[in-house]
Amino acid sequence: MDYWFDILNLVLIFSIFTISLNLLVGYAGQVSVAHAAFGAIGGYIAAYLSAKADCGFWTVLATGTAGAGIVGVVMSLPALRLAPEYLVLLTIAVSSIVLTIVGAVPALGGAYGMVADRAADLSPLSGGELLFPHQWVLPLIGFTVFTYLVCHRMGESAFGRVLRGIRDDEVATRALGCNIFATKVVVFGLTSAFAGLAGVLLYFYNQIASPSVYGLNVSLKIFAMTIFGGLGNFAGSILGAAVLQLLQPMLEKIVRLDPGHAFLIQLVIYGLGLVVLVRVRPQGLLPEGASLWHWRRRPQATPATVVETDAPAISPAGASPSRGAGQMDETILKVRGLSKSFGGIHAVRGLDFDLSRGRITALVGPNGAGKTTVFNLLTGALTPDAGSIELLGENVRGLPPDRIARKGMVRSFQDVRLFSRMTAAENVMLGIHEAAAEFWRWPSGTRGGENLVDLFLRPGEARRVEERARTHALELLHLVGLASFAETPAGALSFGQQKLVSFARLLGTDADVLLLDEPASGIDSRWVDGILDLVAFMRDAGKTICIVEHSLHVVERLADTAIFMELGRITAQGTIAELTRDPRLAEVYFGTV
Amino acid sequence: MWLQQVAQLAVAGVVNGSFYALLGVGFGIILGVTGRFHYAFALVFTLAAFVTSTLESAAGWPAALAAAAGLVVAALLGVAIERFIYRPLALFSGPLSLLTVFISSLGVTIAGVNLITLIWSAESRTLTLVPLISLQAGDVTFTSLDLFLVATTWALIAALALLLRATDLGRAIRAARGNPALARIMGTDPGRIYLVVFAIGSVLCGTAGILNGARFAVLPDMGDRPVVFAFVVAFLGGTHRSPFVIGIAGLFIGLVESLSGYWVTPQWTSLVVFTVLFAYLILHPLDLRALRTLVAAARLSTRRA
Repeated sequence: MDYWFDILNLVLIFSIFTISLNLLVGYAGQVSVAHAAFGAIGGYIAAYLSAKADCGFWTVLATGTAGAGIVGVVMSLPALRLAPEYLVLLTIAVSSIVLTIVGAVPALGGAYGMVADRAADLSPLSGGELLFPHQWVLPLIGFTVFTYLVCHRMGESAFGRVLRGIRDDEVATRALGCNIFATKVVVFGLTSAFAGLAGVLLYFYNQIASPSVYGLNVSLKIFAMTIFGGLGNFAGSILGAAVLQLLQPMLEKIVRLDPGHAFLIQLVIYGLGLVVLVRVRPQGLLPEGASLWHWRRRPQATPATVVETDAPAISPAGASPSRGAGQMDETILKVRGLSKSFGGIHAVRGLDFDLSRGRITALVGPNGAGKTTVFNLLTGALTPDAGSIELLGENVRGLPPDRIARKGMVRSFQDVRLFSRMTAAENVMLGIHEAAAEFWRWPSGTRGGENLVDLFLRPGEARRVEERARTHALELLHLVGLASFAETPAGALSFGQQKLVSFARLLGTDADVLLLDEPASGIDSRWVDGILDLVAFMRDAGKTICIVEHSLHVVERLADTAIFMELGRITAQGTIAELTRDPRLAEVYFGTV
Repeated sequence: MWLQQVAQLAVAGVVNGSFYALLGVGFGIILGVTGRFHYAFALVFTLAAFVTSTLESAAGWPAALAAAAGLVVAALLGVAIERFIYRPLALFSGPLSLLTVFISSLGVTIAGVNLITLIWSAESRTLTLVPLISLQAGDVTFTSLDLFLVATTWALIAALALLLRATDLGRAIRAARGNPALARIMGTDPGRIYLVVFAIGSVLCGTAGILNGARFAVLPDMGDRPVVFAFVVAFLGGTHRSPFVIGIAGLFIGLVESLSGYWVTPQWTSLVVFTVLFAYLILHPLDLRALRTLVAAARLSTRRA
């Protein structure tokens, strides 16, 4: 019987690894093949403290977990800016560094590792010393459930929504005011801490900490378990750990082999099994959104069919007024001397312009004039070389995009950049933040489930904020005429509908200044009117709007003033009528109007 | 005295570095063109060495013929893995294909390496490519095999660079690397290019495996460490760069590893390598941008002058 308990225990310990790795890879999209190395940090801290400092089980467990978490935070700092394939490399490097250090330091036992001189002792909890596999089962179930609950709470909340945003489109997530760096640091730290916890448990369970127990191939095995279980699904992670961990003993029982070669043949079958399993179910055993218990699915994760409807029915009547209750025509954004060059090319030079509340300004000009660069500079996606950007009297030049978004200037993207695997409502909710300045609202600086304190310690508050966000998101979707598509994955909507969702998302941020990149391009002409009505409504609601648009029809209908750009400079400013009267401009840009 | 020691370490560094360069170039062209995270590189590496060793020591073939047979087997294995495992899997798993290909590659390696152990046993085997002669240049000693390794490596890298630059096939490969969709429109079949690239990468990998077997020993787990170095070198050099750039990255890694042996004991040298790599990853987004601005500024000022 102890044989099966032993396997069960290993499944449980590896589940702690896979669940936490899934939060990192499946939710946050950060690929790591160093998970076992973080286990090594926990395991070796545990081994060293119990041998040299005579610490009890719980002290050792806490220290090992915290130690791995701290190293995880340190690793996250260089990881913040890296593309996924470089992240694989970085984590391989971290894994090698950790294993080399523990394998080369004589005090840690070198290549042989450290053998434990005592069993795990749960006291003051009942249960005492854990000497046999069956005694381990309950405590390990406890640790696994704890890991599951914490990771599930983080994954399936406002915090998890930000993680999935980072995974699917980092730039768009940032542009909606989410502090992605802090979120990544937290998720790296926490998942590493859980790996450390599993490492400590593995040390006490095996009674040894050695470099091979936590080697790169163990990290790869954990990675394979997680992918095979299903990314973005924690139940799948447990299942993945169980299936791959059970594959070997099952083979041992089923296939009767010449004992001399049995082990090798099992490994061959194991390897082939991996190839076959991933071929049969590339999405994993339980894909994102699938549930083990009901086989019920959340709205399909993959775009199914395009839902096409009639032109949008914009219903601004029931809309909630924005905070922009200030005076119309008040100057909101003041740009002076804005310049940016790439190498020797001056993309934007010495731009001066103002944007006022309740006014729509169009940025027009031929391709390559630098219009989109201006948006990138204003929102912090690019850092200006010179000049100032004053938003409501405060210079925001040089601030990161998420800070600028939270200060009240957001942009839309020409190619909308919705999160196609999230529902329309979730897309809008990702832009809705209730700002809170208290330092402990960490890591997001917002109220509700996006900060871990509210998420774990004030669940009522987190729930109320989430409900408010959902209600507001539904209002906004109603406003753009898409209330009935709230639960449809954004990827299944038509391009026009996606554009409308992206406007709802912008309104959700409650920003004063909206920069719209080609709001009407790529859309059926029936839809254009609806979208223009929406932009006009936003203006009337007190927003400050700047559009980049090629369609002269749109510019004429919407814009109060236009800024004409050529080769990075403003060459004319005024009303559309004034600009079209200028013979030179008429020739170079407007053609014969 | 210390100069002689450093020179000796530098020579060892060049030899190891050339070996890493060969691995990195082979892995880099596969990853750069096909986007497959080909962990089974380790299996190709090992199998080439085993086949060569068997034909050469057991069947008594001449070394050159045995090595050629080993390389053919390596190329066939690489092409078969792409054609029958990666390609259908990638088609089937869509956007997840980077991860699923990686996992399946891992499975292939585990199965293959254990199959090799079953067939050949885990015993260490030998392989003789060239008669082993100790050579001396000044105070520095090295072997004929070291010389052969360095010459073969750089000849292969030069041949690959020439192939990519000067032939139609090379242009097609570079087109597929730069923009697969466009390459398809222009009439090259990326599927066929992928097979060719796997053949090229596997021959380079197999060469490295055979050379490694001749330097040390032929063992089933001989590919475990080299595959990690292949990743490191390919990424450090940049998978979209010329083979020479990747080769120089390999040389750099070899020299760092070897020269650090002057200050630290051997078990710490890989720590030095990975710490350098770690530092590079932290710094490179910054310094590359800074460097580019600097170059642009310099160019501008010379133009003005």
